[in-house]
Amino acid sequence: MAITAFLTDSTLCIGCKACEVACKEWNAVGEDGLDWSGFSYDNTGAVGAETWRHVKFVEQTAEPGFGGNSPEMNSWSFSSDVCKHCENAGCLEACPTGSIVRTEFGGVFVQPDICNGCGYCVVSCPFGVIERNEQDGRAFKCTFCYDRQKVGLKPACAKACPTESIKFGEIEELRRDAESRLAQLKDRGMEDVEFYDASDSSVGGTHAMFIVRGDPRQYNLPPNPVVPTAYLKKAWRGSAIGALMLLGGAVAAFLADGDRR
Amino acid sequence: MSTNIKPAGEGARPTQQHPTQQHPTQEHPTQQTRELRLAEIRREAESSGKVVGKGVRPGGAPFPQASPETGYYGIPLLKEPSWTWEIPLYFFVGGAAGAAAVVGSVASYTGADRKLVRDARWIAAAGSVISPALLVSDLGKPARFLNMLRVFKPQSAMSVGVWTLVGFSGGAAAAAFAQVLTDRYGPSFPVRVMEQAGQAASLLFGLPFSNYTGVLIGATAVPAWNENAADLPIHFGMSGLSAAVGLLELMGNHKSRALGALGLGAALFECWEGLKIETRQAPALEPLKHGTSGTLTRAGGLLSGPLPVALRIAGLLSGSHSLRKAAAVSSVAGSLLTRIAWVYAGHVSARDWRVPLGIGKGV
Amino acid sequence: MAENHPVGFQWVIEARERGAKVIHVDPRFTRTSAMADIWVPLRAGSDIIFLGALVNYVLANNKDFREYVVNYTNASTLLRDDFKDTEDLDGLFSGWDAEKKKYDPETWLYRGAPAKGGNHEGHEGSRSKSDAPGHAAAGGGHGKDRGGEAQDTSKFESDPSLKDPRCVFQILKRHFSRYTPEMVERYCGVPQTVFAKVAETFTSASGPEKTAAICYAVGWTQHSKGVQIIRTAAILQLLLGNIGRPGGGILALRGHASIQGSTDVPTLYDILPGYLPMPFFDADVQTLKKYIKKHGAKTGLWSNFDAYIISLLKAYYGDAATEENDYGFGWLPRVTGDHSHFGYWLEMDDGKMEGLFVMGQNPAVGASNGKLERKALSKLKWLVVRDMVETETASFWLDSPEVKRGELDPRTVATEVFLFPAAGTAEKEGTFTNTQRLLQFREKAIDPPGDARSETWFMYHLGRRIKEKAKGDTRPRNAGMNALTWEYPLVGKNEDPDAEAVLKEINGYSISKNPEPRRKSFDSAQGRPRNTKENQPQRSLGNTEDATERRLLTHIQDLKNDGSTACGAWIYCGVFPEEGRNRALERKPKDLLGHGWGFAWPNDCRIIYNRASARPDGKPWSERKKLVWWDADKKQWTGLDNADFKKDLAPDKPDELPNGKGVAALGGVRPFTLHPDGVGWLFVSSGLKDGPLPTHYEALESLIHNPLYKQQDNPAAQKKQRSDNQYAKSPDDPRFPYVLTTYRLTEQHTAGGMTRTLSHLAELQPELFTEVSPELADEIGLQHGDWATISTARAEVEARVLVTRRMRPMTIDGKQVHQVGLPYHWGYKGMAKGDVVNDLLVISEEPNVRIMETKALVCNVRPGRRSHHRRDGREEMAAKSIHHEGH
Repeated sequence: MAITAFLTDSTLCIGCKACEVACKEWNAVGEDGLDWSGFSYDNTGAVGAETWRHVKFVEQTAEPGFGGNSPEMNSWSFSSDVCKHCENAGCLEACPTGSIVRTEFGGVFVQPDICNGCGYCVVSCPFGVIERNEQDGRAFKCTFCYDRQKVGLKPACAKACPTESIKFGEIEELRRDAESRLAQLKDRGMEDVEFYDASDSSVGGTHAMFIVRGDPRQYNLPPNPVVPTAYLKKAWRGSAIGALMLLGGAVAAFLADGDRR
Repeated sequence: MSTNIKPAGEGARPTQQHPTQQHPTQEHPTQQTRELRLAEIRREAESSGKVVGKGVRPGGAPFPQASPETGYYGIPLLKEPSWTWEIPLYFFVGGAAGAAAVVGSVASYTGADRKLVRDARWIAAAGSVISPALLVSDLGKPARFLNMLRVFKPQSAMSVGVWTLVGFSGGAAAAAFAQVLTDRYGPSFPVRVMEQAGQAASLLFGLPFSNYTGVLIGATAVPAWNENAADLPIHFGMSGLSAAVGLLELMGNHKSRALGALGLGAALFECWEGLKIETRQAPALEPLKHGTSGTLTRAGGLLSGPLPVALRIAGLLSGSHSLRKAAAVSSVAGSLLTRIAWVYAGHVSARDWRVPLGIGKGV
Repeated sequence: MAENHPVGFQWVIEARERGAKVIHVDPRFTRTSAMADIWVPLRAGSDIIFLGALVNYVLANNKDFREYVVNYTNASTLLRDDFKDTEDLDGLFSGWDAEKKKYDPETWLYRGAPAKGGNHEGHEGSRSKSDAPGHAAAGGGHGKDRGGEAQDTSKFESDPSLKDPRCVFQILKRHFSRYTPEMVERYCGVPQTVFAKVAETFTSASGPEKTAAICYAVGWTQHSKGVQIIRTAAILQLLLGNIGRPGGGILALRGHASIQGSTDVPTLYDILPGYLPMPFFDADVQTLKKYIKKHGAKTGLWSNFDAYIISLLKAYYGDAATEENDYGFGWLPRVTGDHSHFGYWLEMDDGKMEGLFVMGQNPAVGASNGKLERKALSKLKWLVVRDMVETETASFWLDSPEVKRGELDPRTVATEVFLFPAAGTAEKEGTFTNTQRLLQFREKAIDPPGDARSETWFMYHLGRRIKEKAKGDTRPRNAGMNALTWEYPLVGKNEDPDAEAVLKEINGYSISKNPEPRRKSFDSAQGRPRNTKENQPQRSLGNTEDATERRLLTHIQDLKNDGSTACGAWIYCGVFPEEGRNRALERKPKDLLGHGWGFAWPNDCRIIYNRASARPDGKPWSERKKLVWWDADKKQWTGLDNADFKKDLAPDKPDELPNGKGVAALGGVRPFTLHPDGVGWLFVSSGLKDGPLPTHYEALESLIHNPLYKQQDNPAAQKKQRSDNQYAKSPDDPRFPYVLTTYRLTEQHTAGGMTRTLSHLAELQPELFTEVSPELADEIGLQHGDWATISTARAEVEARVLVTRRMRPMTIDGKQVHQVGLPYHWGYKGMAKGDVVNDLLVISEEPNVRIMETKALVCNVRPGRRSHHRRDGREEMAAKSIHHEGH
């Protein structure tokens, strides 16, 4: 099986949200609230239990004579966000039921028939992706269209994307594509393009990679995501110390206390 | 013909060289201040739940920003914990029960007062029943609790914790059940084996059970928690010990010097822990110091540390049992409040996009 | 385009990635601007100044593609000396009748071209001026492109040197000479540096090696001078040689699927299929002969006008259409007045209509002056709404704002509303025709649920029942109905008429001259489908006894004027060339132009007028831009596309104008074969009601005085002003100090019936909002996320405030002009509700196609919500305006 990934190129994204809708159609994801946000044209806010693909609208300033594609100005960028499918996935590691697994395509998949809704994955995702559905009780996120990939189809979002802003393919190929695309854009004078795949963090790289203009932080892409298992050693050491203190304290206290039977 | 058009070129560019590199409100300084003010007010609203400062002037139109300074319109990067009220209570109950089991077992092995041992067993046993009940009740699909037992994952603190809970509950329940049998029918060999095994198990599992919840929340993506990953288990363990001691004291073991020493020790540790949090400077720790979550944390700290220390010392000096009992009440309440505060602080922390985005660090 | 045509926009992105420059002109910075290289914000309604300045730039700097212009346009044609330009008459062309408020186009004719009479063909001078063909008072402008209407344009004088001061080229030059970059900066709000950048970029994509395309949507059409805005673009493209060549053209981006199809086989009142004019109820079209004489032409494709109309009548009336009875021409309904949407709606409001069918539209939300539209519905006896959901139109009597305000009472509204459930796209078969004239057949995926039915089902069975009632009634009024052919095989459990059989009828077929036994008519008493797809291996046209009696036509040239062919829409001829071959259903593209995927009319030409892609001598302009060319060996036109030209007409064949006949008379060079003179028209001598050249007029409601002429707005536009359709004072009504522009968003579709009812789409834009600049917000105290009330002389609506730098104030003629943006998708039904923005708009009619002005109006904005009191809307609003003035 090929190890696959998304490469989402915001310099090609037209903000049509077809990915968001196609995802919901294919995966029968429900409504995410009919609330107007006022955050540019983004009314779904973030990926979560009821939105697995989500287009961000990063709005800056606009100057006559400069379209959004001009190298000088980045006025309004759109970037389709999704579960990052981390190489070291916090949710997968945290899942106590084994519901969250890694598929043969390299994606991170929540088996809905096993998830018991403990919610531990929710606090273990450094990208704030996975979320418990309050009605259903279980945790949900992008499945990487496992069912589609299984039969050789592209994920629904990539299929629906009219401008191929969402590319889907073999991960190493996409990395190379990203590299050449970056070079191409810089060649055009677009100095502010950045590639984001968190490969230099403890997450160890993602299967959803992004090309964005400007600081990735304005897209809520954390500069240094940490997979929570990185804290385990410290924490368990603390636990051992705590246990020793408790045991030692109790033994000392009771031994020192002459008041015995 | 009036078509003297200059060729498009440099002249057509805006005066800024790289507008994207600049704060987008560069050309409107007053707007920039307003927007920063808005961001400040939003943070205030997030942490305290209300805005007391002077409101934003209507008009002037500060509007949300997506920028390296404000993240993505200030929309939280992380998801808040989806846990309900059962979880802080579970942390409290588990901590107290685990510590009680350890105290009870050690007391038993060192030949301490049988009542103390028995009371400790009852606390542990009660915890062994209440804990899973709380845990199951919090699950999105409670009927699927047993799915937790499909696997054992050492890298999942929740998995380790659940198995610990299973071991602990079995041990504590066995010890308590043996106690009941012994009390009713007198000692017998099999019951004694059960009692010893239960006691050993509850000691063995009680040790991690008393503090693993610190690991559980420490090893997460929530900054206020993972910033304290090393300390949280010790903190929670000592908090559990405080609660266990306090409960035992309130059950009539208020004359035990060993308990008194343990209570004082735990309270002193909590003082130190509180001091550490107060003196350390990190953006991730803000929810522990400011707003409602900060108040809760401080109140919990006060009730767990300085107050019981003072009461216990005063009690020792004056020999007053009521002061010691007051210290016990304070410790128990402090322990509960501490867990509530930490979980609450986790919510506040998850909402703060600045820390995971590395914005405003060192400010 | 990215906003409303995201799927089509992929090709723009692809072109951009291959080095094309994308320029976007829009008052707002939209998703399209975000993908463009150059964004040009301009004051809404100032398009002709901007485009005219580009034309001026081309002409003044000799940037035109001269060889193309001389050979392929009417630049060299000489005009009459009595033609006066707007430069001469301060905003009016010669021929203006101030009393009748309309033009007599006679002075616009080519020099030497005889005026064509209406009634009195051939008798020059005796023709009635007021009913010059194409200029009838009630007429619409669709399908008035034949040019033979007011004159015979095959007769003209010309000066190929383009030096004669009376030639179109020189007149054009003078006409646009005051459209300067300074003017653009001052009145469009576009800085001169930006204009220069656009002018350089756009005009550099011209000549043998390069082309540029212009895409527009209703941002251009929905103006009181919409047709003329597009005309300006056409002039620009013709001057740059960008028509009929790959990568060139002007693309009309349509508002929904198959809007092109709905003008080809029209839902418009003024044309018949294939842009044949609908006969009017006046004397000159009582006979077929006169009708053909009036609307036909001697040369070019319209010289076969008789074949097109007779074949259409044969398709309508079958064997009942004979030469003796004018092929049933007399049975065609006649246009008696302005039956455009607004024309009949105002009549409805005046109580002159009994009933209405509303299908595939939601005028209670989607049409201008919604309040008037909804109130008019209450004056009907009956209303049929066919839709997939209960739309605002269907529930106007119960849920409308008028009911909430107490202006309509559900207990007293007498309109009987019939709501019919309609099938969705996947639940019916038929064709879509998209903007580049591509027909694509769509198969049915599933049966519609419950009682939902397709349009074909509804219309067929309605017609069948009406015919049933008319049967045996021999009164003359029923003659047409009784003669109408109405037989199609029925398929499926719902007895849908077979859409392929309909398409075959549209394609056309030849009929044996010896009448065989008449086709069996559908036996309605039997009530069962005679044929189904399953039991009919070879599908024939209708229920014929003998399928060989009729042979499907393969080419427009097959159409005959002797009644031996029938064809539902001549332009579609060839889409179904043989039994079993539905070219609209073909899905195997063979080349980059997509041949093999669907069928483009005419004759599967992917680029129309593509003779222009070759030089006059028949060789491609360049290797890079080659499309069709003359193959001297084979003696025919060949190339990458099917030639939109007579296949064997050699480039060296001289034209036979003005005395020749037919297409061949145009000779081997003239590419625009739909025009009797075979060239692209920089100057349109007849067919347009508001002038032969585009001229800038301010919007009907504007903040400023027309900077170019005394004439403030389009004199020929119909304002339809009345007590319930009021205008602001223009220019500069102190009550309404801001420019209002309305538009659509990607996430919602038009009036929202198909999107606000689905959570996946409704949640993406769940509420009505207004886009304002930070400066405007500052000026009037609007707060982001809070409410604003926007008012016009018609109504007021409330919307959430989206303060955004994508809106910019402009300095127009020294004063700051703010533009207010409002998307219009919301209504009072569905999941996502909001005020109806179209209530703000005024009913107005552009003179040619009678479209309303939605893109440039004036409004006022104040913070806070509108009044929700039950009071008379108009009084309430007037009170508010006064109140605001007092501020």
